[in-house]
Amino acid sequence: MKKQSKGVKDRPRISGKDFNQYKYFRPKSKKELIRIINGFQEDLTIIAGGTDLLVANYQKLYEIKNWLDLNLLDELKNIKMFDDKVEIGSMVTHQRLSKLDQIKELFPVLHQAAADVGSPQIRSRGTIGGNIVTSSPAGDLLPPLLIYDAKLKIISGEGSRVVDANEFFTGPKKNILKKGEILEKIIIPLKEDIYKGAWIKVGKRKALIISSISLALNLSMDRSNLIKKARICIGSAAPVPLRIKTAEQAILKEELTKINIEEVAQIVSEKISPIDDIRGTAKYRRQVALNITRKALSEVMNQ
Amino acid sequence: MQKVKVSLTVNRKKYNLEVDPDERLLDSLRDRLHLTGVKEGCSIGECGACTVIIDGKAVNSCMVYTFQIDGSHVLTVEGLEIDGRLDPLQLSFIEHQAVQCGFCTPGMLMSAKALLNKNPNPDKEAIKTAIEGNLCRCTGYQQIIEAIEAVVKKDGSE
Repeated sequence: MKKQSKGVKDRPRISGKDFNQYKYFRPKSKKELIRIINGFQEDLTIIAGGTDLLVANYQKLYEIKNWLDLNLLDELKNIKMFDDKVEIGSMVTHQRLSKLDQIKELFPVLHQAAADVGSPQIRSRGTIGGNIVTSSPAGDLLPPLLIYDAKLKIISGEGSRVVDANEFFTGPKKNILKKGEILEKIIIPLKEDIYKGAWIKVGKRKALIISSISLALNLSMDRSNLIKKARICIGSAAPVPLRIKTAEQAILKEELTKINIEEVAQIVSEKISPIDDIRGTAKYRRQVALNITRKALSEVMNQ
Repeated sequence: MQKVKVSLTVNRKKYNLEVDPDERLLDSLRDRLHLTGVKEGCSIGECGACTVIIDGKAVNSCMVYTFQIDGSHVLTVEGLEIDGRLDPLQLSFIEHQAVQCGFCTPGMLMSAKALLNKNPNPDKEAIKTAIEGNLCRCTGYQQIIEAIEAVVKKDGSE
């Protein structure tokens, strides 16, 4: 049976049975994975947790012919701690990120964002790699990854490359991954600085919500308690998770208590480029951007 | 279409199945094993009616292809009853009238079960988080939360 048309209205009443399927692969090692990517010429849809893809397939948003399932790749499920960095395999689930004490201690903003994803059922399947590669502007883990200056290691049949998470996203659900490339791991550098961070996710309810807007903030303090490095990133209010570099610059070398909160909030609200959609209007998002920037900065002042 | 051989342990019983590569666990459980306690609600991971426990974790069975969990242990609401005895959670749901239309109940029970397996003494917040992925349109959740809390308290006093 061939899929004729796409779109929600054409979805089957009893799903699962009338889907067309060509091939599926479940590599157990990186070597096997590379062999499959190199040897298979047709389109491959790569499935991690499946919490986005199964919805897309169910609603027939696009046709999926061949699956490549990464779930047996234990090599992609490791979290490795080093002195100067932490490496998180792309198949690490939100649940693990939200339960691990080490993540909570080192990257509290990422930890909190992972705990805010969907529901327990989604967190136990959905992965950090899936969140990144899906590249939704509303991806909950993306602003936290950007404020921690995460790097992404991408592998393919030709070798590997490492890119800044900030350079990875190119538009809504678009990124720089080429055909045959797989996200292997996320590398977050560790500094000895004291971090002060905040995470705010705004939505119509707490659970199972795609954010209307989100904010991740991380400040590194130097020995004399001045802001050495600032990162402010907004989600769901631009085609990509957006660092507000002008606002970051504005508070550099400042004392935390002397930050001009109103100025920073204004910059953030002006620099985003939100759209009207079902989760809120652009005007609403600009107003909320002001509010959450104020709230996040007050939060870090009290840490 | 190429069939996939999958072996699963469902409710403590082993099954060898031949499934379609794009057959959801929800469909395998309902249509092949006739475990119709697993409910299909939204089919897109929003409502939690199809929640089952896979290897100890609460999962929406509409969001997993059966081929993906070859070798896993699956527990559905049918598996909560052992030798004719209902699970304490089930008894407590009855006692606290935490059921009205009943459609969300299997999913609620499985989310609660997954929580209690990991954390036998959850506080109210942990209970609310555990069932945040399960929608109930009748009870207003209050009785459900009370039912789960009652099991926790009973456990603590024993």
